[in-house]
Amino acid sequence: MNTILALAGKDLRLLLRDRIGFFFVFFFPLAYAVFFGTLFSGESGGMSAMNIVVVDEDQTEASRAFLGKLAEAEELSVTRGKRPEAEDQVRRGEKVAYVVVPAGFGAARDRMFQGEGLCLEVGVDPTRKAEAGMLQGVLTQHAFEVLQHLFQDRGAMQDQARKAIQAVRTDAEMDAATRAGLARFFAALDRLMTDLPEEAGAGKEPGKTPGGGWSWQPVRVEIHDVARERRGPKSSFDITLPQAFVWVFIGCAAAFAISLVTERTRGTLLRLRCAPVGLTQILCGKALACFVTILAALVLLYIIFSIAFEVRPDSYPHLALAIVASTLAFVGIMMLISVMGKTEASVGGIGWAFLLIMAMAGGGMLPLMFMPSWMQTVSHFSFVKWTVLAMEGAVWRNFSTAEMMLPCGILLGIGAVSFFLGARVFRITAR
Amino acid sequence: MKSDAFMLSLSHVHKSFHALKAVEDLTLEIREGEVFGLLGPNGAGKTTTVNLSVGLLTPDRGDVRIGEGGSPLEPACRSLLGVAPQALALYEDLTGRENLAFFARLQGLTGAKLRDRVDRALDFVDLAGRARERVKRYSGGMKRRLNLACALVHDPPLLLLDEPTAGVDPQSRNALFENIRALQARGCTIIYTTHYMEEAQRLCDRVGILDRGRLLALDTVDGLIAAHGGRSVIVVHSGDRERRLESDDPLADLIRIKEEESLDSFRVIRPDLEQVFLNLTGRKLRD
Repeated sequence: MNTILALAGKDLRLLLRDRIGFFFVFFFPLAYAVFFGTLFSGESGGMSAMNIVVVDEDQTEASRAFLGKLAEAEELSVTRGKRPEAEDQVRRGEKVAYVVVPAGFGAARDRMFQGEGLCLEVGVDPTRKAEAGMLQGVLTQHAFEVLQHLFQDRGAMQDQARKAIQAVRTDAEMDAATRAGLARFFAALDRLMTDLPEEAGAGKEPGKTPGGGWSWQPVRVEIHDVARERRGPKSSFDITLPQAFVWVFIGCAAAFAISLVTERTRGTLLRLRCAPVGLTQILCGKALACFVTILAALVLLYIIFSIAFEVRPDSYPHLALAIVASTLAFVGIMMLISVMGKTEASVGGIGWAFLLIMAMAGGGMLPLMFMPSWMQTVSHFSFVKWTVLAMEGAVWRNFSTAEMMLPCGILLGIGAVSFFLGARVFRITAR
Repeated sequence: MKSDAFMLSLSHVHKSFHALKAVEDLTLEIREGEVFGLLGPNGAGKTTTVNLSVGLLTPDRGDVRIGEGGSPLEPACRSLLGVAPQALALYEDLTGRENLAFFARLQGLTGAKLRDRVDRALDFVDLAGRARERVKRYSGGMKRRLNLACALVHDPPLLLLDEPTAGVDPQSRNALFENIRALQARGCTIIYTTHYMEEAQRLCDRVGILDRGRLLALDTVDGLIAAHGGRSVIVVHSGDRERRLESDDPLADLIRIKEEESLDSFRVIRPDLEQVFLNLTGRKLRD
């Protein structure tokens, strides 16, 4: 063990003195993640608003109010048009999406307790899933504001309750028990609106209940809770931290693969082999140095992200599991890369090319969710994808332990096979 | 310091690389405390012989033993060896002291003993004053000396020096020769490979001449010259005339010539290892 520690210590010392290697192992991943994290968060002055075109086929006060709110939304840049033009603009890529407010939108708002609810039509390029998701959120938010306004208007609420009672009474298909229950509910709602003091809920800011009074704002609270429970990154740095980790893995794998070749070309491997040291010990020493370097860089990066950007994983044990599995995988890959060529130049060239392709395909450069679907399928063949998934599962996807097993198991398998193949070729060539 | 016990023995060793026979039926026995020279041109099989001796290569046939019978393929047995490879095998981004400490640690040395051995090795090769500088700032000669120090930091009884003077300036070469003599005086067995016959002649107790993987001759320098060097040549200048005469006894022949004719000047060319090699192979050592 002392021999392995001596070998690993020597490699760590050499890495610390290699400024270029140190840059790629630590500073590049940090700079990459901070830059893109800031860019995606919009704090650097500017993620541009999403260009959409809206079509008002309802032409009611409700549809105009809704579209007015969309026009005021910071996330959107809205123009108006007719449906065919809107479809063309999206098809040509001039607009990200179109939103149609169909006829009946206003009527649906005014009969809240009957028939179908509010409906919107959205047209979007199927490859732009991220934008579609974001737009859906914005539309839901503003449509909800239309309904929220209704809840805050006592007269409109009473009108809704009375219309509902009438509809229940005239519905021939409804069974008697349901009819009686709904009639009691809407009658009670009508009485509640009548009995409430005049000032209750009227003209107050949402959430404010001066004097401890009751306010009719149940939906606002629900939205808040739902947002907390959903699986998703809490900030853009949640997304870029796993990517920074990937760059640490890549930097270390490349650096140590080259260092193993350097031992061979500079003759120090020969001297090591003349010492009472087995080949297995030499390889274990190199692997240990690579492992320790990766762990140290990851811990340092996490501390920086934790303090500077308040990144917190959903689960620390899962993060530890993801880090260990990924680190072992990349130690194995380092071993495999080290036997891909005979000189530092060839191993460096082949190694970086191989790792960059894997990173591109696996979401190490561009998050997987921004990739077209066929690229996401291809990404299954990249170990970087499983590394990112394991990290994301621990940081923001809130994976269960069972869900963590798939990426971590694949990574451990890749690591074991790569290490075995690399060590085997290394042993053969060393003789 | 020399004894009759063997420090290294190779018995009928064969080693081929595909079609190339690098070493063929090599049998050698190196005695304790001697400086043994392996002399031969480039490609003769010297480095292959060294690599077989230290366990870097496995013989296709034959047997290699260190000391009382251990194989160099066993890691524990390799602690008896110190190797200074032909190519400088040093970590350029470590200091001289760090290089020595690392290689000493691989030999199992720790603590005060390790520090003591490192200091002694640095003193021995006269690098104590530059020990804390990174090796990449050393001159070629200093690196060569550190290469030697790394081989002997654990005080091995058998030292293999593979072309240790390659690319070394005359001053460093002389320093290296002094180091070797000092090591020999301490009882260290040294195997010294070179293609410089004057180095072998100057340093070695016995010399083996290798060519194309075969051991052509093995003896002391004087023994080799006597057996294979041929006769001395006397070059005599008399007036404008120069005469070259072969002689078994140059002194007796010179006295006879002086009695017979006037003699302006003369010189005697004694056979050397170069001549031995030429006579054995029909080629010059540096062809």
